[in-house]
Order: sequence, then structure tokens, then C-alpha cells
Amino acid sequence: MSASRLRSLQGLGIFCGFAAGAWLGGAEAPIKLVNPDISPITVSLIMVCGVFLARWSVPAFIRGTSHVRNDVRQAPHLIVWAVLAGCMWAVANTLTIYAIRNVGLSIAFPLWNTNSLLGIFWGWLLFNELHYAGWKRWLGVLGGALAMLAGATLLAIASSHQAAPGKAALGVFAALGAGILWGTMYIPYRKAYLTGMNPMSFITFFTVGELATMTLLAVGYRGATPLWHELVNARAVLFWLMLGGFVWVIGDLFQQYATKYVGISRGIPLSNTNQLWGLLWGALVFHELQGAGRAVYVQVAGGSILMALGAVGIALSSATAREHSSWQDAADREGERYGVEGEYVRAGMEGRAYGAVSNRRTVTDWILILGTTALFVALATLAKLPRLGISAGWAVALAAAMLALLATCGISLWRTTRFR
Amino acid sequence: MSPTKNDAPRRLFRAIATDVHFWIPLSVLVGGLVLLDKLR
Repeated sequence: MSASRLRSLQGLGIFCGFAAGAWLGGAEAPIKLVNPDISPITVSLIMVCGVFLARWSVPAFIRGTSHVRNDVRQAPHLIVWAVLAGCMWAVANTLTIYAIRNVGLSIAFPLWNTNSLLGIFWGWLLFNELHYAGWKRWLGVLGGALAMLAGATLLAIASSHQAAPGKAALGVFAALGAGILWGTMYIPYRKAYLTGMNPMSFITFFTVGELATMTLLAVGYRGATPLWHELVNARAVLFWLMLGGFVWVIGDLFQQYATKYVGISRGIPLSNTNQLWGLLWGALVFHELQGAGRAVYVQVAGGSILMALGAVGIALSSATAREHSSWQDAADREGERYGVEGEYVRAGMEGRAYGAVSNRRTVTDWILILGTTALFVALATLAKLPRLGISAGWAVALAAAMLALLATCGISLWRTTRFR
Repeated sequence: MSPTKNDAPRRLFRAIATDVHFWIPLSVLVGGLVLLDKLR
């Protein structure tokens, strides 16, 4: 790969990491509109339903499902990896509910945010990331991730007045468990992208594991009949929760592209800037810091600056040609083990086309796109906007910033890789 | 003898089952499910 192509892919991956942070953080906004009386497991299940629809309809809209079929033909083993990663996500997400309940957000969030450090470790150990990177890049990535972790801790402390510590040890275990699950979930991610799979294909199978596990957990925990009654009673908020899931998928898609082009050691910490965006929505739109003391504002400012500095440190530590060639070695190893064609693997890593695949939308694609749109319209007609004192001006400003990032990053992805 | 199409699922299973990268996330997933069960 030429040096200029490597530079543009690295820049693109970093841009995707920042866009991911904005959209993953923004996904919290619709959920804040929901009555807290609904059980967290049911909230997760409804969100995952929205996620499932988005993970099939967005790829159908952008590339068409014929590309998914083509990817599966080339690397069928990645279906197993994607479903496994989806199962891990669902279990980790459920653990966070217990963590918040038992130790509060201020302790739980930094604990599960250690997933980025574990991601760096797995990237280094299993996929040759940060090999031949030099001490400056090591310092940028590891120092940046640690600064972001410290910033996240301050922000979590500042934004959690309502924490109710109970069974502390269990809560700590749950939060650490979620961090380990999420940090390890990046092994299948990296494996898929080193082998050339397109993120749009990976997420369609990922979500099968995610929805199946979440449904089993929800039925197991709540019981089928009580769960059904809760879903029926929640019809006025189904739209907001599923919209939250849809927004989350856009962020996750950018995170997947970041992972593909800059690896897990850089992509994951960058998308963890979602906490900053969540805080912006909470403070500016939902007035969550209203009436807070000076100490809280100092923590918010300090935490935000630390997170921003950490993200800048990582963004400035992109992979060199030598490090990238060691990624290539890992990719060759994967291709050899699973019998994937070398040219397919190289094309995937370089974000260029492989073979001739039709870009025309099939009947299945249109059913997915129109069916999802119709369902969201129907749910929107049932939805009620709760009476919350929200600041509409700030909501419009933040939504405009997110859309601007979506447009610019989307155009960059299209121009550089045609969403490959 | 060259590998046939019928061998493909078996070869795929063998490649996954002998890949340590598969057992790490799977063990973590099982650990997470056990932890979840204890927390209930």
C-alpha cells in the first residue's frame, strides 16, 4: 500500500472514531425521555430491537445485501465470530445494569471503561498492533487511553448524584465483568476486519447474537407473560427507545470503521469520547447539572479536558508503515488459517473493491428499508413526548453537530473507500 | 487428494476449534453468563 493511501486510511479511521463518539453519546438522548419505571432489562430489549432493525436496514440502504452475501461467500467463518461478539455485547450490557444498581454510575462507568485498555492489550498480543511503533506512539496511545480513563472517572463522579451504593462487591464485579466482556469482544471485531470483511456485513450477523441473547435474558429474568405485558404497557415509549437504538447503530458503524482502519488500540479509546457527548446532552439539553456546586463544575471541566487531551494524543499516534506491515502479517496468518483468498484480504485492508458485485438494490433490500421506515412511523404515531424541561435550542444545535459529523464522515468514507 | 466442497464445513470447524482466538472470547462469554447468574 502506498504511503499516501496509508495516511488517508489512518486519517479516515481517526475521523470515524470521533464521529462514533458523537453518535454513541447522542443515543442517550432519546432514552432520557423514557419513564424510569420500566425495568432496565426491558429497556435494553426494546433498544436492541431498534438496533436489530437498523443493523439490517442501514447496510441495505447504503450498499445492498448482495455485498453481505459476497462477504459471507469469501469468509464464512466470520459469521461465527460476529454472532459470538453479539452475544458478548448483550451479556456485558446486562451486567452494566447490575453494576449501576449496586455501586452507582460514578464507580461503575470507569470500571467498565477499562475495556479500552484491554482492547490495547489484545490488539498488541494477538494482532501485532503497536509493534515497531516506537515509544512516542506507545506513549500517545497508552497515555491517551489512561488520560481518557481518568477524565471518564471525573465525569462519572460529577454526573452521578443519585448513586445508591448497595451490594458493593457484586456491583464492582459486574462492572469489571462488563469491561472484560467488551474489551474481549474486540477480538472478533479485529479478526473480521483483518480478514477483509466489510463492517456493514459484520454488523448484520453481530446483531443476530445480540438480539437472541437479549431476548433469552429478558424472558429468563422477567418471564414471558410479564415481559409481554410490560412491552404492551410501554407502547408510548417504544419509539424513543428504538430511536435510541437506531442512533446508537450509526455510532457503532463509525466505531467499526475506526476499528477496521486504525485497529482496536486506537479506535476504541477514540469512540469512548461518547461520554463527553452524553454529558453535553445531559447538561445542556436536560439541565442535569442545574443547581450543582462549584466542585461538580470543576470535575466536569477537568474530566472533559483530560478526555479531550487523551483523544488528541491517540489521534496523533497513527500507525507507521512499519507497524502497518506487521498488521499485514497478522492478516496473512488469518487468511492462511481460514483459506481466505489473499487478494480479498489485501483489498479489504486497503479499502478497495474486490470482484464485481452489483450495487443494485434487491427486493429484500427494499423490504428491509421500507418495512423499518413504516414501523418507525407507526411507533412515532403512538409515541408521547414526556413533559420534561428540555432546552430545544441546545437539542437542535447538538443534533445539527451530529448530522454535520455524519455527513462529513460519511462523505469521507464514500470518497476514500466507497464504504468498504 | 485435493479438498472437496463437502469437506469445507469440517475444515472450517477444525480451523475455528483449533484457533486460540476463538476460545478466549468464548471463555469470557461463559464467565460473564456465570457472573450474571450469581448476580440474579
